[in-house]
Amino acid sequence: MARRSPSIGSPATDGVRAWAFSNLLVKRRSDGKDANRVDRGLGPRAGRRAHARCLRVIAVPDQRQRLPEDHLTFWENYGTQLSLLNAAKNLAAAYHKLHPNITVKLVNQPANNYFSLVQAAAISRTGPDLAVMWTGLYLPPYAGILANLRPYIKQSTFDNIEGLQWGADDFNSSKAILAMPVDAQFYMGFYNKKDFAKAGIKQVPADWSQLFSACAALRKVGITPIVYGNGSAAYSGEFNPWYDFSYMMIGALPPSQWQGLYSGSIAWTSSEVKSQVSHWHDLFVKGCVNSDALTDTNNVGQFVSGKAAMVTGDGSWDVGQYSQQMGTNVGAFVPPYSTSPQHGVVYFPGDAISVLQESPYKQQAADFLAFMDSPAGAVQIAKAGLIPDISHYVSTNALNQQMLDFVQKQNFTVYPMLDNVTQPNIVNVGYQVLPAALVGQTSVTSALASLATKHNELPAGQRSTYAAYFTG
Amino acid sequence: MSVLRVRAVPGGRSPGPALSASAGRTTAGWLLSLPALIAVGVLLIIPIGQAFYYSMTNWNGITSTWVGPSAYLQLFEDPTFQRVLINNGLLLLAMPVVIAIPLGIAFLLHEQIWGWKFFRSAVFLPTAISWVVIGLVAVRFYALHGILNGLLSDVGLGFIKTNMLGSTHQALAALAITLVWSQLGTNTIIFITGMAALDPTLAEAARVDGASTPRIYWRIILPQMTRFIQFAFIITVLTAFTAIFSLIFVMTGGGPDYGSTTLEFYVYQQAFSQSAFGTGALLGVLLFVLVAAISVVQVRVLRAKT
Repeated sequence: MARRSPSIGSPATDGVRAWAFSNLLVKRRSDGKDANRVDRGLGPRAGRRAHARCLRVIAVPDQRQRLPEDHLTFWENYGTQLSLLNAAKNLAAAYHKLHPNITVKLVNQPANNYFSLVQAAAISRTGPDLAVMWTGLYLPPYAGILANLRPYIKQSTFDNIEGLQWGADDFNSSKAILAMPVDAQFYMGFYNKKDFAKAGIKQVPADWSQLFSACAALRKVGITPIVYGNGSAAYSGEFNPWYDFSYMMIGALPPSQWQGLYSGSIAWTSSEVKSQVSHWHDLFVKGCVNSDALTDTNNVGQFVSGKAAMVTGDGSWDVGQYSQQMGTNVGAFVPPYSTSPQHGVVYFPGDAISVLQESPYKQQAADFLAFMDSPAGAVQIAKAGLIPDISHYVSTNALNQQMLDFVQKQNFTVYPMLDNVTQPNIVNVGYQVLPAALVGQTSVTSALASLATKHNELPAGQRSTYAAYFTG
Repeated sequence: MSVLRVRAVPGGRSPGPALSASAGRTTAGWLLSLPALIAVGVLLIIPIGQAFYYSMTNWNGITSTWVGPSAYLQLFEDPTFQRVLINNGLLLLAMPVVIAIPLGIAFLLHEQIWGWKFFRSAVFLPTAISWVVIGLVAVRFYALHGILNGLLSDVGLGFIKTNMLGSTHQALAALAITLVWSQLGTNTIIFITGMAALDPTLAEAARVDGASTPRIYWRIILPQMTRFIQFAFIITVLTAFTAIFSLIFVMTGGGPDYGSTTLEFYVYQQAFSQSAFGTGALLGVLLFVLVAAISVVQVRVLRAKT
């Protein structure tokens, strides 16, 4: 919640400000622009709540007014993801410099049940003004508690953002904007150049057979070819399998067919999916993967030190630490999970920030988000080692630019993150069963059957088209 | 009560004042109990009722749609849920060990073996450590390059290289072993307290009659310890079923696959990771019923024996 200083606003003026915001909210709803949120149950009450709140503010000076300065509260779930955390800190500091009367206060929340916490806080009206959200299909379940940013942010700001639609209603950027992307993200593999040279690997593997050959060469010189672990994950448990799974599906299906996995027209147990996951499991069988893939907590350290030559389940958010610790010795590559040379890349604004519907200071919060996606904000994001989500951005970080070149120069086909366009229930099952399938603790058939079973249990509205998911 | 009092009134006096005094006491009793009744109703009965209601809905935390009792049937058909129930059943198998080892230690300490004062404190130490710390230490212990494999290697058993937490079939065993260790202190103290409260003359008489120490333990002390064993059993089952969430969270995250997911952890996964609060409530109700059933059965079995 925004905090105010007595020197900035008396209870009465605060009340007027809140009144103005609540009017804005109600007006917006009467325009019908937020009709979808009315359907979801929270919407109609939110306007009345805002009115009630502002009346309270007029009548009773509450705890908020006793705090020393204005601040916007910003919940994040970054945990150990230092680049994102640093970007948020940089943005908050830079914004405060520009607007000394506003402080953006970062509050770290546990990653594992973060979204439930946001939801509960929003319902009980103790939520923040700003909250990290994930884009794609992670967003609709929480759409009812998020403000449409369109009335608060200029169209020109939206025009500069890559992949804005993934934070919009129906994945349609002309509709309500529910989340502003923080950075452009790549799911990506990284390799240690010295290790490759030591093993005599001259060309970065581009398909399954080249990957298996590279593994054999690396094993010969005593280097673990690929290391998995949960060392950089913000949540407990095993490594995130959806990074790899995205590339397995890139190797199997064109982007137009990915919705088939969503709708069920391509079953999770289909031969093309099974074949890819079986190849992936073969990586473990043939010793290409560390034997403690499920329990390793030092995978990043092993890669940085050169004990392991590749990490595949990773992404652009780790570029900062790799660049810092490995210098020019690290290269980026698309995990080559394809029978023909892999020519697709996951390029997607997966991390975003939303303004909560119940925040009485939506305009200030939205101003901060507009700053985030402005050139001045981009400087702060880039400083943290991330790629600002701005169209045609050119990075000064060589590793980041190498990834951008896959899209900008080598014309790789761009795919979304598979987990962001798959029903969250299936994604959760995947977290549980797919890592076990890699290391043979469960069979590939059984793991995929679990995904298929979960798909069958979903209501019909959640397995037809993406758009239906939003209204369903 | 009031009828008896009316009859007891001597001298044919009117029963009016006694009745009204009794009614007044009853009213006062109800009035005095009312705050407690309201508190229990609001904080316990209504939430339990709500949980039961929501267990038959599809509730995402904001809106709910009625599903009905079929929600229970659907859940029992879910193979993941079946797996989770089996895990809870397997965890029950550890209960005799959780009871037997502390009972043995308590007996040794009761016999005041050499250094018993030190060991009494040492054995209680795990109780003072938080589940998270226990979990973190256990992860290091069971890791492929961890303490357990190091110890095996040091004693010439390096060929037995285990990665228990990375195995679907062994992760639950690793959890159970950690649970046994963590419950050692609590249960030992319960049993030491129990043994201290026993009448020593029975054991002394048996000793005078020439009974050996194991025989005294088996025939004299153990039968008198039934209610303490019963108490420790219930406490341990409750702990195993409803209080080791943080241990699972830190050690395995419920995996690999669903190999170490218990009902308690599954409630969390469904409700707070997947926002399926309806399913979470359903699982909560089942967990409540399960723990209640085990406790009742256990109490009845031991009562029948005594």
